[in-house]
Amino acid sequence: MAIIGLLVTLLGFIISVASLGMASSVDARLGMTLLGLAVSLGGIIGMINPAFQKNAIWKK
Amino acid sequence: MRKLHRSSLLLVTAGILLWTSLTWAQPAAPAPAAPAPAAAPAAAAPAPITVDDLKGVTAPTAEKRAAGDPDGALTGTVADVVVADTKAGLTIADLANQAGQNRVAINFVWTLVCGFLVMFMQAGFALVETGLCRAKNANHTMMMNFMVYGVGLAAYWLIGFAIQMGGVGALGTLGGTPVLNGEYSITLFDKAFGLWGQQGIMLGGTTYDVAVMVMFLFQMVFMDTTLTIVTGTAAERWRFSTFLVSSFFMGALTYPMFANWAWGGGWLALLGGNFGLGHGYADFAGSGVVHSVGGITALALGIIVGPRIGKYNRDGSPNPILGHDIVIVLTGCFILAFGWFGFNPGSTLAASGNGALRIGSVAVNTMLAGMTGAFGAMFYMWGRYGKPDASMTGNGLLAGLVAITAPSGFVNPMSSVIIGLVAGLLVCLSVEFVDRVMRVDDPVGAISVHGANGIWGVIAVGLFADGKSNYGGSWNGVAGSVTGLFYGDTGQLVAQLIGVSTLVGLVFVWSFGLNWILDMTMGQRVSAEVELEGLDIPEMGALGYPEFELKPQSINTH
Repeated sequence: MAIIGLLVTLLGFIISVASLGMASSVDARLGMTLLGLAVSLGGIIGMINPAFQKNAIWKK
Repeated sequence: MRKLHRSSLLLVTAGILLWTSLTWAQPAAPAPAAPAPAAAPAAAAPAPITVDDLKGVTAPTAEKRAAGDPDGALTGTVADVVVADTKAGLTIADLANQAGQNRVAINFVWTLVCGFLVMFMQAGFALVETGLCRAKNANHTMMMNFMVYGVGLAAYWLIGFAIQMGGVGALGTLGGTPVLNGEYSITLFDKAFGLWGQQGIMLGGTTYDVAVMVMFLFQMVFMDTTLTIVTGTAAERWRFSTFLVSSFFMGALTYPMFANWAWGGGWLALLGGNFGLGHGYADFAGSGVVHSVGGITALALGIIVGPRIGKYNRDGSPNPILGHDIVIVLTGCFILAFGWFGFNPGSTLAASGNGALRIGSVAVNTMLAGMTGAFGAMFYMWGRYGKPDASMTGNGLLAGLVAITAPSGFVNPMSSVIIGLVAGLLVCLSVEFVDRVMRVDDPVGAISVHGANGIWGVIAVGLFADGKSNYGGSWNGVAGSVTGLFYGDTGQLVAQLIGVSTLVGLVFVWSFGLNWILDMTMGQRVSAEVELEGLDIPEMGALGYPEFELKPQSINTH
């Protein structure tokens, strides 16, 4: 799960950078960059962190 | 009712500041057209200096000099100009060379002294982090902050500086030395994407150069600031040997990589020239490059290393673990605020020429944002918890300083006040989010102070940059001044957000992967026994306070 989370987080960055080649208008690039940011944050907060919390010391 | 009253006051204050900001942000109404002036005679071009102009220039006589110079009128005259050929006497070329060297000398001294101030920030970080930890870990926390300086310096000298600045090109304000000219690039979307520099490994070869040395010292102390951010988040449970290795890789690779993209002529800096996004990613003194890289890495490590024993109950609710010395915490905050006057104004790399006289504006912006950051956090804590919490007020000061670091060279004082105030509130909200929602244990709040507010600072450039700065007529190779959304350039905001996405999406993954590998090979965390005893004796061999009687730790496990 953590590895998938890392890939999703990286995907967010790729979406943002892809906006440079796939979109020409500033607004479209802004939209894609914000989407990429949301995907990356989702990967960290929604996937990587919960995967590492599964065996957290306070749950034992 | 009292809480409601306080909240109302806060809302009204925030409303007034927002309104004031928007008023400032409006473009000035065009002035009524003035009547056309009468045709004036064409101004004569200034005449070049000739040998005749030097005839009236005389040095103070030996008799006058022998009498001393109590008012300073005789010191620093034409007699002090270095003459190339004493037989020929003073020439125009001598004067021109002296003027050029004076300018570069001013910039050298300015940059070096500012670098010395930034170096002293290490002491501030050490005090803040140690004070916010428990006495049983004081030696360990202090030693991490002490040795991160040496480890970072070694890594940066070996390879980090070359990766970051090895392709930056001529250092204009420091004499134009063109020896750092080896940027490795790839082509993407038909544009050059600079990835890393290749000149300057161990400061050898042609980089044995006076300007390069100044640049190295200044950039090195910035890098070390980044490394010391991480030690706060992982404090009280980080294995010392793994800390050394992790910090080495961060100083050699992680920091230099992003710093190259932003400051070394890499692809983020070129977003303006290549893709028309404002002036490219603009980060004046490093909200993103320094603080976000540190804060993002701290988040990655905080997730991997896990919370301290006793931080969370079995239902996931957090327990406060108080630091042992609020006095050194706030002393450390003051030292950091002092050092920040090197951090931000020093990032002009000049005090003479190329618009460098904005150093006054940069310094004032810095102190204003720090002030409102402290106010924002103090009033938030006062309103929400009933007391003006000292450690969070200190963190509010630092949050304001972190947030203004990127915009400090591009914004006006009113915007600085707003940026700092938002930072002071944001750090409190972020600490609560990290602590209660993510359940990542961050003893000093480094993820929020440096990560969240570093990102806010980067975004703030894209919002508040007022287009009035002028550092030699261009920034990142794009003519004109950096201008944010509120002053008409949406493209600049997009460039900033792509920088943020790189931090969150790429730097995080890199840092996480690196530290995960170290966790699997060396182990990041000390044993539970060592943690409960305190890391001072097991890890360092000596207590920080040997004459203290330390209380055994009690764990709340309801």
